[in-house]
Amino acid sequence: MVEDEKCKECAGCQKQTRWREDFPIPWEKDEYVSRREMVKFLSLGSLLIAGANLIAAAVPRVRRSDKFPRIRIAAAHDIPATGSLLFRYPTAEDPCILIRDRAGKALAYSQVCTHLSCSVVHRPEENTLFCPCHHGYFSVEEGRPKGGPPTRPLPQIKLEQIGDDLFAVGVKV
Amino acid sequence: MTRQEQGTVLFSALLALVGVGVVVQLWLLSASVDAIFRDDTVTPLHAAIGSVLLFLINAALLLYLFAFDARTRRS
Repeated sequence: MVEDEKCKECAGCQKQTRWREDFPIPWEKDEYVSRREMVKFLSLGSLLIAGANLIAAAVPRVRRSDKFPRIRIAAAHDIPATGSLLFRYPTAEDPCILIRDRAGKALAYSQVCTHLSCSVVHRPEENTLFCPCHHGYFSVEEGRPKGGPPTRPLPQIKLEQIGDDLFAVGVKV
Repeated sequence: MTRQEQGTVLFSALLALVGVGVVVQLWLLSASVDAIFRDDTVTPLHAAIGSVLLFLINAALLLYLFAFDARTRRS
């Protein structure tokens, strides 16, 4: 122990200075110890981040497992061959569009464009769903983006036909 | 090179590796949160698998570090 590290509060006292008691790491070992502590700290951080990632993976699955309601949309014969029908599913705040493809099959999608949330419209002459805000195009068959800025497909509404009635039963993202 | 010098180099390398792993984990977490906001359920799952793998690698490196410490103390 060097002289200036001794306690100066009382003469002849052999106690270490307060800072030496609080930080009992010699200078030459300071870097060595801090590196080790840093690895431990980062490993603990790694565990916490992995946990956060697992929670992030579980949240949408738990949220999605909430059952979608079964809502009657319309009678099948109400959908015009080249037109569309608007409805809301699963809540009153979710606009959707019901259309027929060229084969006559009924299909429904969320009407909210996956680019910047404008409403898409059906263009039967081009066989596409069109977003007028930024000229985004989606395929009628799968809702996949065909042109323009959107990169993600439109969420598809699962349909079920019982007799002549069409029901919305779920959402496929 | 003494054992302690070897240890310093080793610890620096481990610190760099674990640090890079943690940065990648943070990137995966931000990608997961971004995916959640656009209702994507597949990306967070893959990110979580990647993140857990990175944690396991980091934990293995930490265990190696403990083992190295123990060996150094014994000798």
